[in-house]
Amino acid sequence: MSSVDLSKSSAWQQGARDALPLLGGYIPVAISFGLIAVQSGFSALETVLISALIYAGASQFLFIAMVASGAPLWLVLVMTLLINARHLVYGPNIAPYLSNSRWWPVLMHGLTDQIFALAHTRLPQLEEKDRMGWYISAALIAWGSWIIGTAVGAIAGAEITSRWPLLGEVMPFALPALFLVLLAPRFTSVQWTLTMIVTIVAALVLKLMGMTNSAIPLAALCGVSLFYLVQAKLKAEGKIHG
Amino acid sequence: MDNSLWLLMLACAVGTFLLRALPLIWMRRHLVRRSLSNTTEAMPVWLTVLAPTMIAAMFGVSLVPAHPGMSSWLATLLGGLCTILVWRRTRSLGWPVCIGVAVYGVVVVLLKMIG
Repeated sequence: MSSVDLSKSSAWQQGARDALPLLGGYIPVAISFGLIAVQSGFSALETVLISALIYAGASQFLFIAMVASGAPLWLVLVMTLLINARHLVYGPNIAPYLSNSRWWPVLMHGLTDQIFALAHTRLPQLEEKDRMGWYISAALIAWGSWIIGTAVGAIAGAEITSRWPLLGEVMPFALPALFLVLLAPRFTSVQWTLTMIVTIVAALVLKLMGMTNSAIPLAALCGVSLFYLVQAKLKAEGKIHG
Repeated sequence: MDNSLWLLMLACAVGTFLLRALPLIWMRRHLVRRSLSNTTEAMPVWLTVLAPTMIAAMFGVSLVPAHPGMSSWLATLLGGLCTILVWRRTRSLGWPVCIGVAVYGVVVVLLKMIG
């Protein structure tokens, strides 16, 4: 894997640059969240605190919808944690690239889907001394944009969405574009290419079927299963060893 | 929000944080144990396969436009193609995303003007 040359910029600047594409996806969704939360009866301050403290998009929408509908509080808690359970695999995957600093576990508050995808690609390319600076910078940009977007949505969301409807339609494409760029270098072999394509198609189909929250873990499991199936086939044919 | 809702929000926040932080702490201890016992395979293989597939799944989910229709699917296809073409030339993160979003936006606007 190629390394990143930081001779002309600091790790903090690189982290900020890498996180900028996230704003296109975060801000429109955060504005929508702020608007919907206020319309569901939460105050602007409460809405911003939910974004700052829970900081997990899908589960925040579920949180306000369930609270507004009068669902039992224990069920809201269980559902919120169930949706966020996919985060369980993120920390272990970046652990080999992190130093022994005691601050790393605290910094995991910022480990969203997108920051994980960025970190999983970028951290191995950086020198160890640069990794924490890069991560803090990227995570702060993402967290800050989520909080500011929520505040803007809570205070002026209705006016913004009616004045610039196209902005909310176009900017979220930054997320699939970013994921595409992060995935592109992984199409390195038949085994990985097949795994990636099947996972992407499975996730797309599950989402179209309305299984928004379970699409990511189910499609990923589908991809992992295929990876091992192809590996077993290649081993049986003697094309790989192990 | 009344007190019970504040407590619920804090419980959701702490629970989500623990879901992110505890597995990292577990893996760090696991890596230390492995390095002490001189085992070559530090990370479980399934975990290293699961990470890229999770990112691929996020990509698949994010491909579905908020308002699916002919124009948004066509814009997604062309925006994605341009993103990958620019990535092949630049091998960077920022430019491919910027160009991809710009192409997506232009296609959406053009199709709205035509239709």
